[in-house]
Amino acid sequence: MGAWKYLLGTALLAGILLTPALIVMGPAGGSFDDALFVVLAALMLVSGLAVVTMRDIIRCGLAMIVCFLALAGIYGVAGSPLVAAAQVLVYVGAISVLVLFAIMLTQSKRAPSRLVFQTQAGPAAVLAVVIALMVTLTVTGTAWNEVAERMRVGASALAATLFADYVLPFEIVSVLLLMAVVGGVFLAKREERGS
Amino acid sequence: MTVMSRAWGRLTLPGKVIFTAIPLLLALGVALALVVGILGGPIVELASQYGAVLRFLVAATIILVITIPTAFLIIFMEMKIIAFMNLRVGPDRVGPWGTLLSVVHGLKVLMKEDFTPSRADPLIFTLAPVVVYGSSVMTLVVLPFAPGLFAQDFNIGLLYFFAMGGLAVVGLLMAGWSSFNKYSLLGGLRSAAQMVSYEIPLTLSVAGLLLLAGTMSVNQLVANQSGWFTNWYVFQQPLGFLIFFIAVTAEANRTPFDLTEADSEIVAGFATEYSGMRFGFFFFAEYVNVFIVSAMTVALFFGGWNAPFPFPALAILLDPGSLGIWLLLGIAIVPLVGTLVLSLPFLLTRSAMPAWQAIVLGFVLFNVAVVGLLGVWAFVSFDWVAGLLWFLAKTYVFVFTFVWMRATLPRVRIDQLMGFAWKWLMPAALLNLFVTAGAILVVGR
Repeated sequence: MGAWKYLLGTALLAGILLTPALIVMGPAGGSFDDALFVVLAALMLVSGLAVVTMRDIIRCGLAMIVCFLALAGIYGVAGSPLVAAAQVLVYVGAISVLVLFAIMLTQSKRAPSRLVFQTQAGPAAVLAVVIALMVTLTVTGTAWNEVAERMRVGASALAATLFADYVLPFEIVSVLLLMAVVGGVFLAKREERGS
Repeated sequence: MTVMSRAWGRLTLPGKVIFTAIPLLLALGVALALVVGILGGPIVELASQYGAVLRFLVAATIILVITIPTAFLIIFMEMKIIAFMNLRVGPDRVGPWGTLLSVVHGLKVLMKEDFTPSRADPLIFTLAPVVVYGSSVMTLVVLPFAPGLFAQDFNIGLLYFFAMGGLAVVGLLMAGWSSFNKYSLLGGLRSAAQMVSYEIPLTLSVAGLLLLAGTMSVNQLVANQSGWFTNWYVFQQPLGFLIFFIAVTAEANRTPFDLTEADSEIVAGFATEYSGMRFGFFFFAEYVNVFIVSAMTVALFFGGWNAPFPFPALAILLDPGSLGIWLLLGIAIVPLVGTLVLSLPFLLTRSAMPAWQAIVLGFVLFNVAVVGLLGVWAFVSFDWVAGLLWFLAKTYVFVFTFVWMRATLPRVRIDQLMGFAWKWLMPAALLNLFVTAGAILVVGR
């Protein structure tokens, strides 16, 4: 019955994820890390596509979490576990949970099938083209060898940079976040008093 | 035969999978051991070539497998200890002192109907228990059980622990949403709110400890606390420990903060619609979580696998090779002499007892003594045996504390719960951080 559908879907997904890895490990002669990177990248692309194409908004949110987790895995493979842990802690543990929270409090299962965000296809297309152009420009304009060197900075070096060289921007950002929190609380409270 | 087939017919799909998988896995393990034993050399060479991958696979398997006896033991402890505290008898039917009751619980859960509500989202409904269970198993990876006995030593171990523990919230939200039941949804939302709130004092409470230790690797943190028990961080961070313990109680959904599924008040919160093995996974994850948070408390504040005081070298490290021919003689004679010597008191004092019974009794006693001596020998000569024993002993003290709290304390209200986290625990954690930082500035580490 339903179980076969899910088994088939799982097999298909495993095929999509593992085929590039097998190609990398076999004919292309890459290492285990390369294969892991390819699997994670494929997972990220598949789940990213799922986020923008699926109809059920909760499933979209969960696919987004998978996407973030795959990105954290890529950070780990690239040799900076600190960034990976921060990615999981902030993006999965806080932001995605907040998004899911908001959806669950506001949406219901019988939501209109034509969801709000799908009515703005025109502006979204323009935005997508602009972003694609910008990404292409950045990718072609970056010296990737240097970046790979910079990625492998350890936690202590990162801390030294953050708290010695860039301490003023860091503090300003934290004050900005505090202001946002206080503003949010103020707005929420004022509405309650008015009613 | 009919009994067997009827029992088989009663099993649900996951039950059938598990009951076929367990013998298969056992057979595979035995076959693997035999192959390694017979072929020897080439296999070991091949294994050492892929050492890291192999170590990871073995560690992952062990971590998955040890959750089962751990959960069974803690479930039994909870039933029996709470029964004693309530002046009841508790489980006493299956096995000696009812010890096998939690195994029966496991079988029962496999045989129950695995029900999916109509109009529920079956995919998310099925994946939610997996996410909850997976997040608690993943945190086991960084726990140091003994010197050299850990799955993986990250230099960001503690951060990893918090990150993986936070994933459980996603599972609870998934369960609440996909059940297609308003009460499940509300239960899921309130458990998510509780866990997100308590994550903040939890993370802040160890910040002071990290300032003192200067590392986030759990292994290194434990190694820092070696020597006398005064080196344990609980004596330098008493407030930090208190906040950590309270926050961790809320994270593991234990009384007095078990509002996520307050059994006597709101049915079962997010798990209302779950049954069978899918509910079993939530149940399992809760008890594995109790073990994990107790173990983490011990590792961070109570010295982990370190003994409370350095043992004077009572290690009369036996070197059996130096005995020479006496070793062979000893192996031949000692069991005989030991059996006879131990049966002598029965022979002499109990005239009603036939001689063969006395000798059998002496043999049993001799075996007990040998096992005890072997244990002492292992304790003295292997670091990790002593470490594991100390670690488990301390951990189960905290597991007992959690059970004790469940038997003793009443449940708090949801507004009291949230108010306590934001108005008391968080300021206290910040105060702890400031005082620790100031002390480090004045005194040094």
